[in-house]
This record gives sequence, structure tokens and C-alpha cells, in this order.
Amino acid sequence: MTTTPTTSTTGPGITPEAPGPGGPAEQSASARKIREIWASVRKPLFSVALTLVLGFGVVLLVSDQPLHAYEQLFVANFSTPANFGNLLMRSAPLLLIALGIVFSFRAGVFNVGGEGQLYVGAVSAAATGLALPGLPGPLLIVTCMAAGIVAGALLAWIPAVLKVTWGVDEVVITLMLNFIAILFTSYLVANPLRDPEAYGATSRMLPEQSWLPAIPGLPTGNIGFVIALLLVPAAWLLLFRTVWGADLRAAGTNLRFAETVGVRGRREIILSMLLSGALAGLAGAVYVLGTGHRFEQNFSPEFGLIALTVALLARLHPVGVLLTSLFYAAMLNGAAYMQIATNVPRSLVSLLTGLLVLLMTVEVRRRRRRGRSKEVSA
Amino acid sequence: MSGFTSAVLIQTVPVLLAALAAMFTQQARILNVAVEGMMLMAAFVAIAVGQITGSVGIAVLAAVGAGVLMSLLFGIFTLRLNANPLVAGLGINLLAGGVTVFLLERVYENPGGLRPDRFPELWSVSGDWLRAIPFIGPALDGQSVIVLLAFALVPLSWLLLYRTPIGYAMRASGEDENAARAAGISVPRARMTAVLLSGLLGGLAGAQLSMAALHFFLPDMTSGRGFLGLAAMLFGGATPAGSLGASTLFGVAGAAGDRLQGGAIPNQLVLAVPYIAAILALTASRMGLFRKIRTARENRTARKAAGTVAA
Repeated sequence: MTTTPTTSTTGPGITPEAPGPGGPAEQSASARKIREIWASVRKPLFSVALTLVLGFGVVLLVSDQPLHAYEQLFVANFSTPANFGNLLMRSAPLLLIALGIVFSFRAGVFNVGGEGQLYVGAVSAAATGLALPGLPGPLLIVTCMAAGIVAGALLAWIPAVLKVTWGVDEVVITLMLNFIAILFTSYLVANPLRDPEAYGATSRMLPEQSWLPAIPGLPTGNIGFVIALLLVPAAWLLLFRTVWGADLRAAGTNLRFAETVGVRGRREIILSMLLSGALAGLAGAVYVLGTGHRFEQNFSPEFGLIALTVALLARLHPVGVLLTSLFYAAMLNGAAYMQIATNVPRSLVSLLTGLLVLLMTVEVRRRRRRGRSKEVSA
Repeated sequence: MSGFTSAVLIQTVPVLLAALAAMFTQQARILNVAVEGMMLMAAFVAIAVGQITGSVGIAVLAAVGAGVLMSLLFGIFTLRLNANPLVAGLGINLLAGGVTVFLLERVYENPGGLRPDRFPELWSVSGDWLRAIPFIGPALDGQSVIVLLAFALVPLSWLLLYRTPIGYAMRASGEDENAARAAGISVPRARMTAVLLSGLLGGLAGAQLSMAALHFFLPDMTSGRGFLGLAAMLFGGATPAGSLGASTLFGVAGAAGDRLQGGAIPNQLVLAVPYIAAILALTASRMGLFRKIRTARENRTARKAAGTVAA
């Protein structure tokens, strides 16, 4: 296969389609662009719509006020500044982890270890904050975030090195590392980091100057979301407007071909994993500094797994990741409002998430098969 | 001693069943991360149906049925709709977690779990004849029949895999899809059979988990045992005996971890040992350590055979 790495910005393996039968040979660039975008968002939108319809069916079965329930699920997020701030706060970790996953997937590495990288990032940030209570605010925040980033990157480095050196399947290793990371952090929080006065396994509270400041006007939202938001264009630029990004995508599209034309594929794989882990680690730090203010065991409602869904649903595109993580955060938060206002339990959303993942994968692979037959996991 | 051995058995059996489940699909080259979800669903259905019917037999059957249904879903998505097995498997797990909690909240109005007041006792094995079995005999006393079944399933799955046409078909589909097709094997059918077998075994694992000693269901009560089974299967080289060995090793680690709780070695770190072991084993096998040992042995036997021919 000698497909050249595509320069399209709308998704992996999307080649500009030939004009339809009877269509003019020369189309305006913008019209083609719109068509391309539509072609890449059509199927995710379809699976989201199908999931929501099926979910509505479930709500119809269990609730006597189904419309009210669905209204709460989506509209309540925007009803007050506090709710909207919560939405942004919730989407920050999803956005960060998913951005990282985009890089690893684009480089052809299946990083399923977001959850573990999130946990080590969170615990490192918490430990740093507790160890250096004397530092002034901004310095402490930056140090804690750096600790989270380094920890996440280190954890992702292990499967990357094992993969490029011996070809060990990164899927299994990252899955196993998730458990190791969660167990290790739960050991840390049960012993050295434990708050003796708190009930349950939580660390002590972080010094107050390390708490992330709120976004003006949104008391519950913190600047963690702003940081994540700023990283979206940065990721886009890095991925689509730099040589390194092109090399990375080339390595992910066809490693052997890329290496033949001079891309150092192994290096790209390791760097993409480091970046992926770093972003997940940053997500952990942002959560601890902005939301929890301490490390709690089981703080994550499987952010790592959901971020995987976010990244796939967004067609591995940074801008798509922004929209999808906002959508998902809206669902996760809206579920709580729905449960309060109606008798529909919030776990409806986890049910729908599973359904969405299944429906979505169907066409993710189909596109891949059409574009290039790439063995994702053996 | 028998107390510890029986603790090992209790820890080993769900992992062993999960490992065998993942083994069949792995032989057909499908990484089965959905075992966790199959187990979870089966564990829930076992308790729910047992509570309604009051019958152990029906509860076990329903649990196995639930496992098979989940695997059917997994099979349809991965084999018919070409979903990526990894992502679809994670989707199945999310779905199982979501559905069970949803039903707990909605039907039983208790998100904390499902604890029936009365629950039929799962058949257990007991009797003097157990003393005849060396070492694990006394520990088997009072264990559920699923424990015995699990150990019986190790040689049975070996037979199925290596001595029956369907086993050949599965392994051929995993080995080389095109060659298998050329040989007239229906690869999708062979793979679907493997997936359904994994559902059956995963269902048994779930039933053992919720019915054997506990008689209740908690959200996420599988707590990674499906993944541990996956690790054990990979550690054991995707063979029945290897899976048994690795699961037992993990079972010993788990039981020792429980025993050491509050002791010198923190429990969480002991629990992490199986996962670390799996990573090391996978890396070692990729580095070719096992292959080197095997080829050395094969060379030896080959030389011996050559020697006898020459003589």
C-alpha cells in the first residue's frame, strides 16, 4: 500500500472525494471543505442521535415525565452560571485526556492507559502540593502541574518503550498499568498521604494558595478549563501545521512507508505517548488543584475510558474533541440534575455511554477498512 | 493450611474462568476485554433471578445465559459490524456497568447493591471422598460446584481446542485467516463460536462470584477480575494449562494479600503483583526468552530423533 499520508484536517484517512456524477469538475474550495467536514461528522452525529433516541426510549419506559427528564439532562447545564461552571469544570479533564489520546492514536499507538496516567498525575500533584506548602500560589500551581505532567508522561513512556523495542502490545500493557497505577495511588493515599482526620482514603487538603482561581463570573468553573481550551489550538497547530505533526501522522498511517521516506517512526511513537501521558497527568493535576483540592481514591468516574470515547467520537481531531468533551460533560452533569428533578436515575448516562461506544465503533472501523486495512489490535 | 488453600481457590476460580474465556477468543485472535462486562452482567442476573425464582438451577442458567447474550452482542459488533474488538469490549463493559446500576436504582431502588433476604444455596461439594484428593481435597470441602467445574474445564477446553474440528477451526482462524479460509474454514463462524464460549465461561465466572459465598450483588463487584483473567491468559501463553498456572499464581497472591492485610506488605501493592507479573511475562515472551527455551528444547528432541534415525 502506497497511500500518501493525507493532508486533510478533518479526520484520519479521509481523502477528498471525487466530485459526484454529473458534478462540475472544479468545485469551489470552500464547498469541498464543507463537504469534507460533513462527511467526517456525519457518522458520529448519527451514532449520537441514535443513542439519544434509544435513551429516550428507555426514559419513556421508566418515567412518567420523559420530556422533562431529557430537558434536565441538557438544558439544566446552562440554566445558572454555577451549573455552567460545573459543566466547564467537568469537561476539563475529559478534554485534556482526549487531546492526549488524539496524539497517540494519530501516531498509531492505542493508548488505553488514560485512567492510570490521570491517577498518577493527580497523586503527584497532590503530593507536591502537600510537600511544598510554603511556596507562593502561582509557583506552587506550576510546580504541581509539572509534577502531574511528568508522572503521567513517565507512566506512558513504559508501554511506548516496550512497544518500539520489543513490539509488546501496548493495549494490554496500558490496561494493566491502569490497575497498577490505581492500586499504587490507593496505597499512597491509604498510608503516607492519608489524612488521619478524614473518613475514608483521602489525602490532606492542599494549601489554599494552590487552588486554581475561578473563571470570572463563573464561581464553580476554574481556570483549568481555560488551560485545556488553550491547548486545543496548540494541539491543532502541532498536529497539522508542523513537520513533527506530519511525521507523527505519517507514522500512524503507515509506519513502514513513513520510515522508508525518512520519518523516525519509533521516535514519533515514543514522543506521542509521552505527550499523551503528559496531558492525562495534567488532567489529574487540574482536577486536584481545581476541583478536589485533595487526592481522593476513586475520584474519577472513569474519565480515562470516557475520554477514549470522546477522542474517537471526535474523529481524532482537536476541535472535535473540544465539542465532544463539552457534550459528554453536559451529559454527565445533566444526569445529576435529571435524577434530582425526575425519577430517572443518573446511571442512565453510563448505560448510554456504553451504547454510544458500541454504536460508534461500528463505523470507526468501517472507515478505517475502506481507507486502509490496519490491524489495530492483534 | 486448608483455610488458606480454600481462600486461594476462591480467589483463583473466577480468574481462571475469565482466563479460559479470554483464551478461546485469543486463540481466534480477538483480544477479549469484554469478559469483565460479561461477568458483571452474569453476577447481577444470578442474584436477580435467584431472588425471583428461588431456584439455584435457574439462577445459574440465567447467569450463563446473560454471559452468552453479552458475548453475542460483542460478537455481533466485532465480527458482523467490524467494530474494533478493543473499543467494543470496553463499550460492553461500560454498558454492563451502566445497565446493572440503572436496574439497581430503578427496579430495586437501591444503588448500593442487591441483597435478597433469602437466597437459595448454590450446590456445594462435600463428603469423605474429598480426602482422597491430595492437597486441594480438604480445601474443596464446602466449595461450590462451579469450582470443581472450573478445574474440570481446564482439560476439557484443552480437548476442545486441540482435539476437535471446531478447536482446529478456531486456532486456524487465529493463526492465519486467509489460510484458514483457503482450507474451507468459516472464519467468522469459528470466531463467533469462540466468542460465545467466552460468554459461557464468563457467565459461570459471574455466577461463582455473586452466588458462591456472598449471595448478593454489588455494583462493579467484578472489580477487575475479568482483566486479571485476561492477564492470566496472556501470562499463560493463551493455553489452558498456562491459564490455570497463572490464575493459581494470581489466586495465591490475592489470598496472601488478604491475609497480609494490615501486615508488613501493603495490601494494594500485593494486589498489583499479578498485573506487574503479566507485563513482565508479556515483555519476556516478546523478547523471545520463552521462544529461546522452547527452541532449545525442540532442538534437543530433534537432535535426539535425528540421532535415532541415523543409528
